[in-house]
Amino acid sequence: MAYKVFGLTASDQTSLLRIAILGLISIVAVGSRLYSVIRFESVIHEFDPWFNYRTTRYLVDNGFDKFWNWFDETAWYPLGRVVGGTLYPGIMVTSATIYNALHLVNIPVDIRNVCVFLAPAFSALTALATYQLGKEVKNATAGLLAAAFIGVAPGYISRSVAGSYDNEGIAIFLLVFTFFLWLRSVRLGSALYGALTAIFYFYMVSAWGGYVFIINLIPLHVFALLVMGRYSNRLYVAYSTFYVIGTLASMQIPFVGFQPTFTSEHMAALGTFGLIQLVAFASYVRTLVPSDQFRVLIRLSILGLFVVGFGGLVLLTMTKVIAPWTGRFYSLWDTAYAKVHIPIIASVSEHQPTAWPNFFFDLNMLIWLLPAGIYFSFRELSDNHVFLILYSLFAAYFAGVMVRLILTLTPIVCVMAGVAMANVFEIYLDFSKTKSKAEAVKAEDSVMEKKEREIQGELPAAKTIYETAGFKRFYALFPQIVVVANFLYFLCMFQLHCSWITSSAYSSPSVVLASRGPDGSHHIIDDFREAYYWLQMNTKPDAKVLSWWDYGYQLAGMADRTTLVDNNTWNNTHIATVGKILASDEDTAYELARHLDVDYVLVVFGGMLGYSGDDINKFLWMIRIAQGVYPDGFKEEDFYNAAGEYAIGDTASPTMRRSLMHKLCYYRFHEVMGPQGFDRVRKQKLPRDVTLDNFEEAYTTENWMVRIYRVKDLDNYGRSHHAASAFEGPRFKNDFVF
Amino acid sequence: MKPWTCLALACALLGSTNAKSASGDRVLVLVPKVESAKHYSKFLGSLETRGFEVSIRAASNTSVALQIDGERAFDHAVLLAPAAKKFGDGLGPLDFTRFVDDGGNMVVAASSELSDFHRKLAAQFGVVFEPRSTWAIDHANYMKQNNASDHKVVAASNFAPAPAILSPGFAGTLAKNQQKPAVYFKGIAHKYDVANPQLVPLLTGAITTYSGKDKGEKPIENANAPLNGKSLGLVSVFQTRSNARVAFAGSTAMFSDALLSKRGGDNQRFVEDVAKWTMQEKSVLRETGHRHHLSETGEQPSHYRVSNEIVYEIDLSVYRDDAWHPYVADDVQFEAIMLDPYIRTTLNRTDSTLSASETATYHGDIKLPDRYGTFTFRVNYKRTGYSNVDVKDTVAIWPLRHDGYPRFLSAAYPYYTGSFVMVIGFLALCAVWLFSDEPENTEKAAAAASKEKSKAKNKAKNKSS
Repeated sequence: MAYKVFGLTASDQTSLLRIAILGLISIVAVGSRLYSVIRFESVIHEFDPWFNYRTTRYLVDNGFDKFWNWFDETAWYPLGRVVGGTLYPGIMVTSATIYNALHLVNIPVDIRNVCVFLAPAFSALTALATYQLGKEVKNATAGLLAAAFIGVAPGYISRSVAGSYDNEGIAIFLLVFTFFLWLRSVRLGSALYGALTAIFYFYMVSAWGGYVFIINLIPLHVFALLVMGRYSNRLYVAYSTFYVIGTLASMQIPFVGFQPTFTSEHMAALGTFGLIQLVAFASYVRTLVPSDQFRVLIRLSILGLFVVGFGGLVLLTMTKVIAPWTGRFYSLWDTAYAKVHIPIIASVSEHQPTAWPNFFFDLNMLIWLLPAGIYFSFRELSDNHVFLILYSLFAAYFAGVMVRLILTLTPIVCVMAGVAMANVFEIYLDFSKTKSKAEAVKAEDSVMEKKEREIQGELPAAKTIYETAGFKRFYALFPQIVVVANFLYFLCMFQLHCSWITSSAYSSPSVVLASRGPDGSHHIIDDFREAYYWLQMNTKPDAKVLSWWDYGYQLAGMADRTTLVDNNTWNNTHIATVGKILASDEDTAYELARHLDVDYVLVVFGGMLGYSGDDINKFLWMIRIAQGVYPDGFKEEDFYNAAGEYAIGDTASPTMRRSLMHKLCYYRFHEVMGPQGFDRVRKQKLPRDVTLDNFEEAYTTENWMVRIYRVKDLDNYGRSHHAASAFEGPRFKNDFVF
Repeated sequence: MKPWTCLALACALLGSTNAKSASGDRVLVLVPKVESAKHYSKFLGSLETRGFEVSIRAASNTSVALQIDGERAFDHAVLLAPAAKKFGDGLGPLDFTRFVDDGGNMVVAASSELSDFHRKLAAQFGVVFEPRSTWAIDHANYMKQNNASDHKVVAASNFAPAPAILSPGFAGTLAKNQQKPAVYFKGIAHKYDVANPQLVPLLTGAITTYSGKDKGEKPIENANAPLNGKSLGLVSVFQTRSNARVAFAGSTAMFSDALLSKRGGDNQRFVEDVAKWTMQEKSVLRETGHRHHLSETGEQPSHYRVSNEIVYEIDLSVYRDDAWHPYVADDVQFEAIMLDPYIRTTLNRTDSTLSASETATYHGDIKLPDRYGTFTFRVNYKRTGYSNVDVKDTVAIWPLRHDGYPRFLSAAYPYYTGSFVMVIGFLALCAVWLFSDEPENTEKAAAAASKEKSKAKNKAKNKSS
């Protein structure tokens, strides 16, 4: 019995509801990502987004041709960076397209705002894509639940709040949508969908290095299906179309280039492509020569081919014909690898192995719905479900190895949770059976009563409460209500948890900090921008600023000055040289800095505020990285004092006290903190007298978070700067004698 | 040389048409007392006849100031008061180094009674004077005229080979039967910093010259080897990185009328050489312009590409005899540096068509390295006695454009052929597949087709009915 509401049939109502729900999900997804804009301002966050923002601006200002051939001589001085050939242009092109489209219809929006709000906008698209994926593998209910989950899951929000203008912001949408298209093309055996998969795969390749996940997972899916004996023409059409178009398209991105033909990361896809041709041929032969043994033969030959292919791959890798796996991939197998061999990868906090609480923090209840979803997938186990299971397993493993890969886990967790929850609701929200059951009970009861009355021939006895029809109806509904209420409670808690995490943990731009005074007052700490602005206004346009690589992109983006190293850590030696400058004594550092034409040195110091992410705390990594390249005369142990502690101030080891970093951070700091001053991060006493001759203080921000020093020019008379300072005496004494 | 320096020089030139110095004509002469200036009347007179505006002040005159309102008040300072502990109103060594840093030139004359002020000042330039009351003494080479037996008046003739500073009589090889020039020097010796190329020991001791106390005729006994020979400096000159010049002479007497006019000595010429050099009257080198451009088009792009052929040119002129002249040399080198020099080549002088030209142009045809990055084009010309010329340009060398590579490689023709054959083969196969009926299936197909037809007919019938 269908009720007509506003003259709509039941199916129309459903689609209207669905559209409304998806619309609401999109609004929630976008809205919950705007905390940072409301609390702070529309500003680009963190580090990498600043590079993306800068390149986007370049693209908008200079057009695509110049962007494509852009050589940035202000980065990695003096090596320079071939920007056009070493980035994933997807996000910049996307923003520029949106910007141009808006300007075409006379909406004069600023490119910064396009960049700031790109990730939230794409999160709404991700929700839609996830809905499609859920619908593809289960039904619309699962799709809607999955969409609702991904809309607010902190694991994804962490990379897509407003201002977080990074590749992941659009790449997750592309990842989900590519997988959806892939599953549909496998189900339908449609070359059209295969080609669409390839096109979105190309978009993904242009947007994020994580495309490697797709190009390994899809072949794995195909391979698993082949081994399971599920070869079909649908699979053949889907994979062949996808692989050929996708690979050719991906090679158009200069940064990827010919990699699909010779690197280990892409070999699985190539191998599977070859394999599926053989299997297709074999199955064609089989239709001509039917035999029961043939199936066994095929399976055996697939396994044999796999072994031979894998052996060949290993051999070719060992003989260096195929490029070996890059370090970042090794660290996916062996979490200790990076720590020992590539300190520069280990030094990035998002490359650390994930701690258990992180999973709950980022995914809340979804993490325990994942196994349930896998269970339900096993029950059905269509081709699509095989894919879901593989994706879950691999993403879960990778997420355990690297914190940042929780991001790739999040979509599948949402889909699986959606599937699991849809299964639960399918059973427990279906009241039709319960209703009929209750009616049956009622009918039975009345019959019984009649019988009893007939037998006993007297008035019916007063019924206990347990025997009333209403109670029985309630009793039949009870488990359903409990389960549904429980899950509703979980869903509400999930939403609350997500909002809380988003607002408290993921909405800080990190360029601007906020602090709360003891009286609850709100303070904005804007030292970074203060320092960058000072550099922009007070230094020559071609001044070279040395800082640790973390601040390279921000320096280029906000101060518009030449940097020596930045967050694109492509040249380990150059970074090690910068590390060496900061870790060496003043004279060695001066010589090296002059050799590299450095004009200013910038350090971040948190001792005044208690900002723990400062350079002194990162210093050990700088030493380790420098030590890896310059082993002679550099020892990490020298920077620990006799008690084996990493100390600062007067208790520090002599090497530590002599190091440039220590000097630059604590120079004249005791003057502001008093003779009994403490470093608020390290909780240690300050060094008393820090002398500095080869460098001079140029600027220190309000909260001493950023300190900028000028590298002095060579002495006019060829003296050492120590001698010159000794002659000129304490600067301030001399200047203020009247 | 920076453009503004050139500008300053040009202004200075315009402002003082009759002065001989390239940097200005205001000379401050500091003497113990104003009256003592008459001992130096020849030296000071020669300055005046050369067009300098000489202000003679007593060391103790408190109105003496090197700077007025942050501007240099003088272009040159001549310190002839070695015993003075300070000058003017408490001017210390730091004020004088700042004067030099500001571009002022300085002649510092010392004597046996030397104050700490002078020692401290000289030490900044790598000149360390001997202790008080010591003299440069030579028992072999001394002034032998008029039966003078004062061995403290050393007849020094050990000149540095610095043709840019000293006139031809001093530097270089002597003509036959030409008498070796000698400079009479009575005063204190100094050690000089051999490691500092900015310091030139212009006049050093002979092998018999030593530094010691005056004990009449008797040579002193000294357990420690006294400063002697070549390492004993008598007159040293210094050029700062900013091209200011400072001369240190251990003797005030060598500037005095008494020794200047002594026959047999070449003090007159030597002192004039030192003063001329120090006060920027000679060997002032400047770069009046430099440029680089592509050989083919002749234009200077904002950046070059790898392996571009370019032309680099630099104009040099030298100041002497009250005018700028073309600077002629064969050792002007160009470097293209990115961390290390990728190119280092000697530039050739272009024959100027204008004979009256003030400048000489040096050029080089350079093929840029096949390496992209930020390069520094540098001409770092530092020669003893001449002003430093250090010209740097930061130039980016970009990689080729994406369509800048050769489009078709002859080595790859087999592959091109292969791919085209593949494409044609594929199309041919498709055509054959699409447009040919398999013989055994024809009947079936025909049957199916007729079935379809009849179906369609039926449908049509149904519709019409």
